[in-house]
Amino acid sequence: MIKALAAHEWDRRPTGPVSRQKKDALFELACRVALISESARETGAKAFIAAARAEKRKTLRYGLDLLSEGADWERVDRSYALEPLFGELDAGSRLEIALIKSGLGSVCRLEHPNIVLRRMTAHLGAEYFDKASAWIASRRKRKRRKPLTLLVPGELPDLVRTLALDPASLERALRGAGRELSVAAMAGCAQESVDLAKGFFGPIGSGTFEDDAEFVRNRLSGDEIAQAQAAFIELVRGLEQGGELDLGTEDDFYNDPAYVNELTRAVMSLDDKSLKATFAAKDKKSLALAMQGMEPSAHDRILGLLAKRETKRLLDAIDDAAILPRREVLEAGRALAKTVIAAAEKIKGAPRDAIERFARIRDWASVGTGGAAPTGGAAAAETGVPATSVAASAPGSDRKPTGKS
Amino acid sequence: MIRWSAELAKRLACGDDEKRALGPLIRRFVDLSRKSKREGWQALEAEAASTDDSLLKVGLRLVLEGLSGDPLEDILATYLITADEKGWPFLRACATVEGLLSLAEGDDASLMIRKLAAYYGADRALAVLQELEGGTP
Repeated sequence: MIKALAAHEWDRRPTGPVSRQKKDALFELACRVALISESARETGAKAFIAAARAEKRKTLRYGLDLLSEGADWERVDRSYALEPLFGELDAGSRLEIALIKSGLGSVCRLEHPNIVLRRMTAHLGAEYFDKASAWIASRRKRKRRKPLTLLVPGELPDLVRTLALDPASLERALRGAGRELSVAAMAGCAQESVDLAKGFFGPIGSGTFEDDAEFVRNRLSGDEIAQAQAAFIELVRGLEQGGELDLGTEDDFYNDPAYVNELTRAVMSLDDKSLKATFAAKDKKSLALAMQGMEPSAHDRILGLLAKRETKRLLDAIDDAAILPRREVLEAGRALAKTVIAAAEKIKGAPRDAIERFARIRDWASVGTGGAAPTGGAAAAETGVPATSVAASAPGSDRKPTGKS
Repeated sequence: MIRWSAELAKRLACGDDEKRALGPLIRRFVDLSRKSKREGWQALEAEAASTDDSLLKVGLRLVLEGLSGDPLEDILATYLITADEKGWPFLRACATVEGLLSLAEGDDASLMIRKLAAYYGADRALAVLQELEGGTP
C-alpha cells in the first residue's frame, strides 16, 4: 500500500474544490469510458476509432485518438503529461485528466468495464460509489448469455463441486487465489463451476466474475488456462494441508439411488389433481431444488402438467438453482413431500400408495437409513442419477442440459 | 523497494500517542478477518452497512465484489489520495486500506497483524506485535 502511495505523483494530484456539477459531468464521462472498454474487449482498436469520432470532450478524445493510432498505454500516459494543453489547469480539469488516465489505463489492460468505472469514479470520492453501483446494476439487467461449456478437461470441476459442499471452503479458496487466478482457472470449466464460484461475490461481483471467465476463455490459450487451473488446485491443496479447508468427498454430490427411485415413483404414481395442487402451493424455486433428487421421467411428468408460462418459470428456477449436496436434496424432497401430503388431504381421493411413498420421503432420515441402497458415485452412476440431474428435455422445451444438469 | 516520497512522509507524520490509537483498528480488522472465515465474506455486509467510515464502507463493498490485488489497491489508494488527509487521519486511512487488502487476500490473523503493525513505525512495531499477538489465540 505504502509502495503505491510512494509512487504516486503527489504534485500532479487535483487540489482545491471541484463543483458538484463538474463531478456529475465527470461521472457521465466515466460511464462513457466504461462502455468504450466493453466495446474494446469485443472489437479491439476499432472501438477507439468509433469512440474518438463520437467524443466531444477534448481531454478524452485526445487519449482515444492516440489509442486509435495504435499507441500503447505508456505513450498515452506520457503524452498527457507532456501536452501543453494540459499543463496549467484548474482543479476541475486536473481531476478530469486524472480520472481519464485511470480509465484509459484500465481500458488498455482490458479490465472489466465495472472495474474501469470503479477506478474512475474513485477520483470523485466515496459519495459517487452508490451511483456507480446503480449504473452497473442497470447495465447488468440487459445482459443475457449462453452457458459456458467445458473447455479444458481436468480435475478442477470435480474439486470445485467438492469444495462447494462446504461453501466457506470454496470461498476461502477463491479469495486465497485472488480474482485473477480464480477467473482464469474457472474460464476452462463448464458453467456449473462458474455458477458455484461467482455466487460469493454479490450481484455486481458475480456479474464481473462471469463476464471475465467468458472473456478470458477467448483470450488465453488452453495451456495458459490449464496452468491457472494447476495453480488453483495447488493452492487448494496447500490450504487443505494447512487445515484451512474442509474438503468433502465427491460421493456427497451423488444422490442416494433408493431415495431417487422412491421419490420418482411417488411422483409418477400421484394423480394429476394432487400434483397440480402441490405445484400451486409450492414456489418454483423449492420445487426445482427437490427435482434434483428425481429421475428425468419425473421431471417430464411435472413439467408436462404445468402451463407454458409455469414451465418457463420452473425451468428458469432450475437454471438458477445451485447444485445441492445430497443432504440438501434430501431436505428439499422432504419439504416437497410435506406439501404433497397436505395438498392430498384437502383434495381427498389421492392414490394411497403414492401418499405412502411421499410419507416415506418425508421421513427419510439420512444417507444409509430408510432402506437406502448402497450409496456413492459408483451406485449413482449405475442409476445415472447424480445430485445435479435436472430436467433438460422438458416437453415443449428445447433447452439443453446446462452445467447443472 | 519503496521509493522515498517526501510528500508521503510529511502526510504520514504523527505523534506516538496517535499511533497507539491504531490498536483498536487493527483488532477490528482481525475480528473481521475471523468473521469472514467463520461465516463467509458476505458477513462483512453488515459491517459495511453499519460503519460511518466511508473509506471502510466502500472498501468492504469492493472486497465483497471480489476485488483484490492491484485493482483493489489502486482504487483504494485513489480514494485515499482524493480525501486529501494529513497526519493521524491519513495514517489511519492507510492502515484501513492495508487491512482491507489483507482481508481481500484472505490473510490469517497473524499475517494481518504483521502487515498492520508496520504502521506504528519500526521502533514500536515489535512491542505492538507482542501485545496484539498476546490477544490472538
